[in-house]
Amino acid sequence: MRRLGLRRLGQYVLVFGVAVTLNFLLPRIMPGNPLALIAGVDVGLMTPDERAELIEQVGLNRPLIVQYFEYWKSILTGDFGFSYRSSRPISEIIAERLPWTLLITGAALVVSAVVGIIVGAFSAWRRGKKSDLTLLTGMISLESLPSFWLGMLLISIFSVQLGWLPSFGAVTPASDLTGWAQVGDVVEHAVLPTVTLTVLSIPGVYLTMRYAMLEVLGEDFIRTARAKGASERRVLFGHVARNAMAPVVTFLAIRFAFSFGGAVIIETVFSYPGLGRLIFEAVSGRDYPVMQAAFLVITIAVLVANLFADIIYPILDPRSQEE
Amino acid sequence: MSAAEQSIPTTRRRRRVSVADRLGLTGLIIVVLLVVMAVFAPWIAPYDPTERVGTPFQPPSAAHWLGTNDVGQDLFSELVFGSRVSLTVGVVAALVALLIGTSVGVLAGYYPKRLGAILMRTVDVVLILPFLPLLIVLAAYLGRSLINTIVVIGVLIWAGPARIIRSQVLSLRSREYVLASQTMGAPDRWAIMRHVLPRTALLATGTFVRAVSGAILLEAALSFLGLGDPIQKSWGSILFWAQSRGAFLTPAWKWWVLPPGIMILLASLGFALIAFAMEERINPRL
Repeated sequence: MRRLGLRRLGQYVLVFGVAVTLNFLLPRIMPGNPLALIAGVDVGLMTPDERAELIEQVGLNRPLIVQYFEYWKSILTGDFGFSYRSSRPISEIIAERLPWTLLITGAALVVSAVVGIIVGAFSAWRRGKKSDLTLLTGMISLESLPSFWLGMLLISIFSVQLGWLPSFGAVTPASDLTGWAQVGDVVEHAVLPTVTLTVLSIPGVYLTMRYAMLEVLGEDFIRTARAKGASERRVLFGHVARNAMAPVVTFLAIRFAFSFGGAVIIETVFSYPGLGRLIFEAVSGRDYPVMQAAFLVITIAVLVANLFADIIYPILDPRSQEE
Repeated sequence: MSAAEQSIPTTRRRRRVSVADRLGLTGLIIVVLLVVMAVFAPWIAPYDPTERVGTPFQPPSAAHWLGTNDVGQDLFSELVFGSRVSLTVGVVAALVALLIGTSVGVLAGYYPKRLGAILMRTVDVVLILPFLPLLIVLAAYLGRSLINTIVVIGVLIWAGPARIIRSQVLSLRSREYVLASQTMGAPDRWAIMRHVLPRTALLATGTFVRAVSGAILLEAALSFLGLGDPIQKSWGSILFWAQSRGAFLTPAWKWWVLPPGIMILLASLGFALIAFAMEERINPRL
């Protein structure tokens, strides 16, 4: 177990290393002016002096290997660089954006977990019956739903046609709301992006829960419980659902990480000022350093979520420790 | 597990198989219709989708079934021609993924010790890396073209198939006929080509069909973010323009936003249903 843990950890370090290396290499090997790709500026608009100064600043005149170590050094000291386009340190921009993404992905995670687990358990219990098959087909169809399209439809229906909810941003601009009114404003803005993310997450949770339940239903201790005369309800919730939780929680942790990436699209549709929208803005504005930093932060979030799943699994399913 | 399976009456089992088959058949019909639409696009579409054939922002009429867009192109014709881009990218990107995934999977499964360990490490890294952001970063650096979209999607989705195929090969390599051919001095290449590859074909096809379904969604997402081919309009890029022209804030959403999304959904779902039916054959879960 200890060895397994160390191997896992080594793997995450490797992933982080690959992400950092990709960030370093991509702008340097891709077609185009590396200075423009690294600093994210219009090189053509600069005087030769300015250009020379910038090359010195980003270190492009030093040997590649030195640049590589310099890059690692800055990342490990938490220095994500400087956005030349908006003239601000990138860590400041990210600190501003991260909470919004955490808010909608977190809320979506909780709702989709509750719905997915309940519906998945129900479906497994009705295995092979009409209700199970209908749910299963419905969930497979949901998986093919393009996320941005769902977001656009929700805006068209709930913001434009019905006028119930705002379609844009995370707060009402230039409103001096305080206290509960402010909280209400934030919630109102978060509803549609959260619903979109939730709808996208539910099929995965459902399928994992249903499959895990079916696995457990075939185990000996379920037969023992039934033989003891435990009621069907007690068997289902006390024994089956409880033992099916381990893979579901693991899935949720990984799904949370995935939502972080999926937020790129959903935050773009709703102009929601999170990390994902930041990547989109950086890509369309050719602000490459910001794009890279956001990519790294999302990678770190993914690794933390995976680590969490690794830690929680043996606690939920003690049998896995025996390996 | 076996006890549970024995207790299932055969009549119920037969009905279950037919449910998966029915879903697969539905998927097949959807896919065939879409392929027909893509192949005969010039005959089906009333206009050239790149021509300005009417006044901009027209609602649906007899002349323009789905109205016109912001520069006066016919939206229905764009929709018909969009199937070409979406299907091409989906299928070719999935082929790229299949090629890489099968090679890695077979090698990692057949040589599980050193080579396999290294390959599977790579697979794990690719699987953990945040997929969509990486896709966007790569697309942003590579530039916008159909080939780049295909390559970027292909090199990011091969890891899942590789893992599935590896586990199959791992069990195949210790079968008697493989051992026999090894004992008789046949080279590994022969055992792989003759015994291993043919038996992974069904599984590989299943993962390929599923990859097409995923690749279609990814192409749509990339195009929607404005990172698709600027010349060849796909369903995703119709939605990109609908978004940037604010079509979803006007009644135009019903003919400009709704139809391309339905097409993406149908295309992705068609392949997903076929994949589901195939997976159900290989490993029943219903």
